[in-house]
Amino acid sequence: MASVTYEHVTKRFGDVVAVNDLTIHIEDKEFLVFVGPSGCGKTTSLRLLAGLEEADEGNIYIGDRLVNDVPPKDRDIAMVFQSYALYPHMTVYDNMAFGLKLRKVPKAEIDRRVREAAAILGIEDLLDRKPKQLSGGQRQRVAVGRAIVRDPQVFLMDEPLSNLDAKLRVQTRAELTRLHQRLEATFIYVTHDQVEAMTMGTRIAVLRDGILQQVDTPQRLYDYPINTFVAGFIGSPAMNFFPATLVQENGELYVDGGTFRVQVPPSRKEAYLPYSNREVIFGIRPEDCHSEQFVPPGVREARVRAKIDVVELMGSEIYLYCLTGNKQFIARVDPRTRVEPGDEMDIVMNMDHMHLFDPQTEMAIR
Amino acid sequence: MYRGKYSVIIPFLAPPLILYAVFVLYPYAQAMYVSLTHWSGVSPTPQFVGLRNFARLVRDDYFWNALSHNLIYLAVLPASILALGFFFAFLLTQGVRGAGFYRIVYFFPQVMSVVAVGVLWSFVYHPTLGLLNGFLRLIGIQNPPVWLGNPSTALLAVGAVVIWQAVGFYTVFFIAGMESIPTTYYEAARLDGATGWHLFRHITLPLLWENVRVAAVFLAIGALDMFGIVQTMTEGGPSRATDVLGTYLYENAFKHSQFGYATAIAVTLFVLVLALSLLVMRATVRETVEY
Repeated sequence: MASVTYEHVTKRFGDVVAVNDLTIHIEDKEFLVFVGPSGCGKTTSLRLLAGLEEADEGNIYIGDRLVNDVPPKDRDIAMVFQSYALYPHMTVYDNMAFGLKLRKVPKAEIDRRVREAAAILGIEDLLDRKPKQLSGGQRQRVAVGRAIVRDPQVFLMDEPLSNLDAKLRVQTRAELTRLHQRLEATFIYVTHDQVEAMTMGTRIAVLRDGILQQVDTPQRLYDYPINTFVAGFIGSPAMNFFPATLVQENGELYVDGGTFRVQVPPSRKEAYLPYSNREVIFGIRPEDCHSEQFVPPGVREARVRAKIDVVELMGSEIYLYCLTGNKQFIARVDPRTRVEPGDEMDIVMNMDHMHLFDPQTEMAIR
Repeated sequence: MYRGKYSVIIPFLAPPLILYAVFVLYPYAQAMYVSLTHWSGVSPTPQFVGLRNFARLVRDDYFWNALSHNLIYLAVLPASILALGFFFAFLLTQGVRGAGFYRIVYFFPQVMSVVAVGVLWSFVYHPTLGLLNGFLRLIGIQNPPVWLGNPSTALLAVGAVVIWQAVGFYTVFFIAGMESIPTTYYEAARLDGATGWHLFRHITLPLLWENVRVAAVFLAIGALDMFGIVQTMTEGGPSRATDVLGTYLYENAFKHSQFGYATAIAVTLFVLVLALSLLVMRATVRETVEY
């Protein structure tokens, strides 16, 4: 098992900078998730580590070993591809054994490891089948099995769940987490799905346009997003943003959104004071916007009068698409809330969970 | 849905079936009959002689001579062409600069007619004026062989031309196949520890096996034919050193007016080709791979 370090790694494809000065240290046994929209450089980062792409600048270490010039096969890593890339002409057994055969592992040992991995993944009865005879979920398991038998230092996974249906995806998510705990190996996982990132990662690295935005634990990423991009990317539905002005009155700070004015909690005053009388971006998550009828206890209330545009019933909750002026925002409210489109009501925001961003740099004000 | 389906099927199926019967099945049947006759090719009534033509065939040294040349070609040409075609295709799919240009150049011989190729190479092999011997003299070989005039080199010289002509086509054929193999298989295999040879052996070759089979059958049939190139370059000579079944049957039919005997050779050739095709398909059968 080993740690992984990217040190000022840059990769260009022609004029496009796919990965831009990436520096990150991934601890041994960590489950790190690279997340971001398509084209953000997350897959390229993974392929650089695998040795399938060569970095233009910077160094990559696995453990203490500089691997820039080490061919993929000698990096002691295994990868699960998005398409699984199971060899179509080989049985499941041979797919899993292939890497070991090439490494001249004794036959008995190969057999033992393949069967052990198959047992872990519950695919023992599929060993004689060809990939085309398997369902999507089974293929995915075989692809993981092919990685496990190699017993590598680092597992790389490139969107391994994206070809599965929603239900299977949720199931497999938990299985991969369990697998990580069982194998105690370093996992590096790429996805565009922030739910996968949040549920599986011990830490998440958010990328945009090849640039690393923030690396942190899921909870801290959610609570303290470093900029509007991370704030908007993590969490579903996405955080609401309002262009606003920070005004100071009678020693108190208020966020003035034009159609509403909400008070900044005392604990934030000191940090926000330098921005008083300046334009800011006010951010609040939908789950911190409650209906006036059901406000949970302990909420630092700030009321915003809003017209209800659309009501989306989710069962366990209701998404309200609200309008203040002509600015739309989403509130995630108690399912017992009774409201019709066109109604007006007070949306209660929990100001303890407010966010403020600098409109120029888009960075969080703390 | 199915009611009256024959009123649709028959009009569509009849024309091709009739054409096939008239222009393929009938000539086949006729050839079978002619092979059992003694016929000069001009008399209106061939004389039925039973299996006498085939009995003569078995004792005909020239027939065995011609067949042996076909078998030599069969042993050498398909294997060489497949190997070279695969080799070039593999090279040209490794991201070589100017691969498109080489691809076109390799394909050139394929678009030339066999007769043109034969004539062209007859000039190249010309003992005194030819390009080849000119080059050999240039590098200091004083008495280069008379390629097509010497029984010990003629067979080889003609075979080389066939390889030259066919390799380009199979290169392009295999390139098309290789490019349809998803690159992730190669990437996965590289991570699994595969080197260049392993990739070829364990990924490229098995995934292109269907293409190889088809090519092998085509080439095997071609090796049993060889008529066009041999006829234009050597007419089977010198002293029957390059004679193949095709040229020998042509000689019997059109030079000696022994159409019955020539057709017996043709029927034998037909059976050989049929048997060989089945054999190659059988011997190379694998489970079809889909991806």
